[in-house]
Amino acid sequence: MSATGLRPPRNRADPRAVPWWTVQWLILMVPVAGAAVAAYWMFTERALWLGVVAGVFAAGCLVLAVVGPRASYRVERWEVTDQAVYTRKGWLTHTWRVAPMSRIQRVDTARGPVQRLFGLADVTVTTASSAGAVKIEALDHEVAAELAERLTAITQATPGDAT
Amino acid sequence: MSAAARPLPGPATGPISGPISGPVGEPPGGPDDGWRGLAGRSPWASGVKSLAIVVAAAIPLARFLVGRDWPAGGIVAACAGAAVLIVAVVVAYDLLRLRTTRWRLTHERLELRSGLTTRQHRSVPRDRVRSVDLRADPVRRAFGLSVVKVGTGEHAADGSELVLDPLSRRDAEALRRTLLHQDAAEEPADGPLAELSWSWIRYAPLSVWTFTGAAVVLGALYKVLDSFGAKRLTTRVATGAWEWITAHPLVAVPLLLGVNLAVGVLGAVLLFAESWGHYRLEREPGRLRLRRGLLTTRSLTLEERRLRGVEITEPLLLRLGGGARVRTIATGLGKAADDETEDAAALTPPVPRALAVRVAARVSGTGLPSLAPHPAAARRRRVVRALVTTAVMAAGAALVPWDWARGWVWLVPAVTLAYGMWLAVAGAASLGHALGPRHLVARRGAVVRRTVALDRRGIAGWTITESLFQRRSGLLTVSATTAAGRGHYDVVDVGRADGLDLAAHAVPGLLDPFLIREGAS
Repeated sequence: MSATGLRPPRNRADPRAVPWWTVQWLILMVPVAGAAVAAYWMFTERALWLGVVAGVFAAGCLVLAVVGPRASYRVERWEVTDQAVYTRKGWLTHTWRVAPMSRIQRVDTARGPVQRLFGLADVTVTTASSAGAVKIEALDHEVAAELAERLTAITQATPGDAT
Repeated sequence: MSAAARPLPGPATGPISGPISGPVGEPPGGPDDGWRGLAGRSPWASGVKSLAIVVAAAIPLARFLVGRDWPAGGIVAACAGAAVLIVAVVVAYDLLRLRTTRWRLTHERLELRSGLTTRQHRSVPRDRVRSVDLRADPVRRAFGLSVVKVGTGEHAADGSELVLDPLSRRDAEALRRTLLHQDAAEEPADGPLAELSWSWIRYAPLSVWTFTGAAVVLGALYKVLDSFGAKRLTTRVATGAWEWITAHPLVAVPLLLGVNLAVGVLGAVLLFAESWGHYRLEREPGRLRLRRGLLTTRSLTLEERRLRGVEITEPLLLRLGGGARVRTIATGLGKAADDETEDAAALTPPVPRALAVRVAARVSGTGLPSLAPHPAAARRRRVVRALVTTAVMAAGAALVPWDWARGWVWLVPAVTLAYGMWLAVAGAASLGHALGPRHLVARRGAVVRRTVALDRRGIAGWTITESLFQRRSGLLTVSATTAAGRGHYDVVDVGRADGLDLAAHAVPGLLDPFLIREGAS
């Protein structure tokens, strides 16, 4: 009886990804937590048990914003070989994606406004399939540019019409 | 070279110059020559079709004038005037459109210049032409006309097709043959892959629409009558009917259901007849050709180079009746146009299952291998899901605060349980996968069971997902991404080792570097 599994890809995201993701989560979570507390303060009769619920909810949001990025950083990995792009992501649901070089149609790098402050960039590899885009998140922007260039070069050297 | 400024020469500029004669495939000498018009009979067809608008316009007009106490003669005159005006406008527009539209076929490309106000010049290289589809509604057919759509097999964005609306039927057929490099004499060698047998019409009513369609039609009719101002009449009829139903429920309800069913069956049968009459699926060298349509005839071509597999779909009712349908998985297939009754990927109407399997096998080139079932954990997962849903429903039902609901609310979790368990068992029984010599085969679905045979060369990558619960039961979902069809086809809840082996063998070398195999080598 053999146990077959997928090995994790070799590379992690850039360590600066953790603060970047934390900022992203906080941008989302602080208003949510704030809204919960504000709603409790303004629209209820400030019952104690409700206050505890609201407080726990707000604290949970903030803890999630701190823990989530670290968990993602542990899980998110990527690897590029001469044959394929290979990524893993997902914390509860693991998702592995493999895209062969011969099917890659487009390589994009993207940098959001906050992301730029951290010097990070995403690389998105698109195949002919509408479902097959592979995204490598939070790379150092120079590494990302290099990677995109390398991928483009390999893709052009690989024969096939990519469908 | 400006497309707009130059006067366009052409043999057929008048409205009744008859069919264009001369060989289509022979482009004349000079580069500026060979421009030709569309079929000159088109305005006649448009005129006949505009009568529908005339009817739609005349009825409200007549009603309006009756309301104003016009004399009968005046009403008739006004309606006749409106009719003449409408027909004249439509015919004049069509004449103008015809005069400004020119097309030509050179050795390299098919070109089309068109547009009354905005001039367009479109050109398609002949070696890029992938499909030539002909379509003729009953009016155009009576005038011997066909609309020709030339597709290049690009991802079918808007306007990627070049449309010649209309050509004479002979020209259209000739153009089709020329563009697809086919001699008239060349007939498919081994007969059609499938041809209509009217006995298939027994499968036509096996659809949800049979039971709901009549109600939908009735609703639509009500709307239409309303918009014609017959509101008082429809309201009176509806109120009368409602009173009668409440007075005699034992007679009325079965009768209504019976009528609903009868209308639904009749509608389904008529729709089947219109969509699939004269149905014929043939293999021509390098492509499939599908012809169908009783009143509006359609001829569709699909290059086999674009074919990435086939799919057998069995919706519940059809499955219970022993039927199935075959669809293609192909790249660059557009969505069906709004006025189409079938989507572009449909290869067959509902047919007996054995025939569907045979057609699928012949289209894909190999027989379908027998499928391996998925582990018992897949069924357990579905049963647990059904039980959890039932438990949530039951908790909800227990908490319902309203007294009037207490009597029957327990029915909700009971029905949920029965339906959920059926879904779980049927869904698990449907699961299966296999690796054929050329295809990856996967089956799933409780309500609509789909068996997909995806060409292994068409697989453009893998997405493998494993949820928390899947991980605990040793299952995962292997999804093959592809450029064709829905974009990805999934093998759901397959055993971990089986699924990874399947993916590794389906596309040799792609997944292997990322696999760890322990135990056996």
